[in-house]
Amino acid sequence: MNFFITILEQGLIYGILALGVYITYKILDFPDLTVDGSFPLGAAVTAALITRGMDPYLTLPIAFLAGVLAGICTGLIHVKGKVRDLLSGIIMMTALWSINLYIAGTSNVPLFSQETIFKNDRIEGLIPKALSPYTTLILIFLLTIVCKVILDLYLKTKSGFLLRAVGDNAVLVTSLAKDQGNVKILGLAIANGLVSLAGCVFAQEERVFEISSGTGAIVIGLASVIIGTSLFRKVTLLKATSAVLIGSVIYKACVAIALRSFEPQAMKLITAVLFLIILLISMERKKKVKADA
Amino acid sequence: MKKKLMAGLLVTAMTAVMAAGCGSGSSESGGEDGYTIGISQFAEHGSLDNCREGFLAGLEAEGIVEGENLTVDYQNAASDMGTTGQISDSFVSSGVDLICAIATPSAQSAYNAAMDTDIPVVYTAVTDTEAAELTDADGMPVGNVTGTSDKLPIEEQLKMMREILPDAKTLGIMYTTSEANSVSAIEEYEALAGDYGFELVTTGISTTADVALAADDLLSKVDCITNLTDNTVVASLPTILEKANEQKVPVFGSEIEQVKIGCLAAEGIDYIALGEQTGKMAAQILKGEKEASEMASEVITEPGFYVNTKVAENLGITIPEALISSAVENFDEITAE
Repeated sequence: MNFFITILEQGLIYGILALGVYITYKILDFPDLTVDGSFPLGAAVTAALITRGMDPYLTLPIAFLAGVLAGICTGLIHVKGKVRDLLSGIIMMTALWSINLYIAGTSNVPLFSQETIFKNDRIEGLIPKALSPYTTLILIFLLTIVCKVILDLYLKTKSGFLLRAVGDNAVLVTSLAKDQGNVKILGLAIANGLVSLAGCVFAQEERVFEISSGTGAIVIGLASVIIGTSLFRKVTLLKATSAVLIGSVIYKACVAIALRSFEPQAMKLITAVLFLIILLISMERKKKVKADA
Repeated sequence: MKKKLMAGLLVTAMTAVMAAGCGSGSSESGGEDGYTIGISQFAEHGSLDNCREGFLAGLEAEGIVEGENLTVDYQNAASDMGTTGQISDSFVSSGVDLICAIATPSAQSAYNAAMDTDIPVVYTAVTDTEAAELTDADGMPVGNVTGTSDKLPIEEQLKMMREILPDAKTLGIMYTTSEANSVSAIEEYEALAGDYGFELVTTGISTTADVALAADDLLSKVDCITNLTDNTVVASLPTILEKANEQKVPVFGSEIEQVKIGCLAAEGIDYIALGEQTGKMAAQILKGEKEASEMASEVITEPGFYVNTKVAENLGITIPEALISSAVENFDEITAE
């Protein structure tokens, strides 16, 4: 059982990150590398606030806002500064490395002796004893679902439609007399807010801020989005946001399997092979859809 | 058809592995039918590999032998924090008798995962155990966790450098800003360098890609360089050594491996010995002689002096005879990695 709990916990935390990457990569068609910086940004803000005695639950919205700011910066660099999308992300990612060090004070901040959203007196009183080993999973699950539902609802609003239109058909947005630049900035802000929120939850679950935790975050996010959306392409009942969350859990399951079953050196290779197989399987689904039609 | 077969195979394989993962959770282990330990190592790295090798040798010296009465589950996180967490959780869920964590992030993660269980954690290669919140100010554990620190013998190193280079004024150090170990070592160097008449020049990098540029900058400012146990810098040491040799700037190391590949000398740690010391601590815990929570964190007792006379010859430096004869090991050639 615990094996699956770990995969679910990790998969759902990174699922929040994947929701952010879904917005930039799938909706806006914007390869946003800011993620490698905004994930530890959330963790850094969280560590800085918690060690100063802030209520752990308040760090969630604050970390989100910090990510929003990072996203707005990337957006401004790209839209107003007319810097290419990939490069704007790289610039912000690079800058955030130092900013994160300034915020946290050092590259590694342990939170063992602090209260976190998963471990404090209030939550222990709230969750029945029988369920207490699952506190972390329950909280992560709730948080992730709240993020997903809010995002789903938002994408149905007028502003959400505009966001989707920018990626699909930018001309439409302009013809509606809306500035597509502003819409892009908004999308990047929400996306990085979510990524930073994931960093905040991750730091509290692992009980440590580590500057290198963001390295490769974009790769995990992209893999989750691609696995999720391509595996469930045919399942129309499932929303893309749910597919992305499942994709993230599958990613973590692949890593867990690779960790369990093979030589340590082969871990990344096995993970890569598992992805490839999953993608190949989903390719077959696509072909079948065509054949059926 | 082929793909369907592949899909089927994959599903079967995944289920089998997951089932196996679950199954091992119920396995009972203990003194009579042998011990099961999990080793969580943060990265592939020469010094950390030596720690692991030493750790197993230390256990063996206490009669706990891999393959006989010891099952080792070794995992390496390839420097990824998320994977480190997964490794720790999987050790806890499979109910190992002890977790050996190598390097700071692995130690913190293992402690966090095992906090609510009775699984002891023994760490090694953690430089600043207090900053990592693994010990209190007196070096006593904060929980069911203990181990050894690879804190550098900085005072000895400064003294040795002063002896070899009586006229050097500026001392350069390159370190990675993301490595907490290095940051705390730098603080100590800053506090002590003045006592030995050195002016300290430091340069911080963030990735391997910065090393070459930073080395050029540093070499233009200093009379000699010393290394920490900084993972990124040590991994790029050949680059730094090549540039330093061109300008005849001596580079001091922090452990035996660095002297072997071309550093002039080091008052350093032997990571195999450090691992052995850790392994012996782990053996006491496994045998039930002591609780991890009551064992103070240890540092290596005597740093060893290592010197490379071939490098000294290339640089035209004469090392005092007394120092050479005190060396634990004296290399007369430069081994390429």
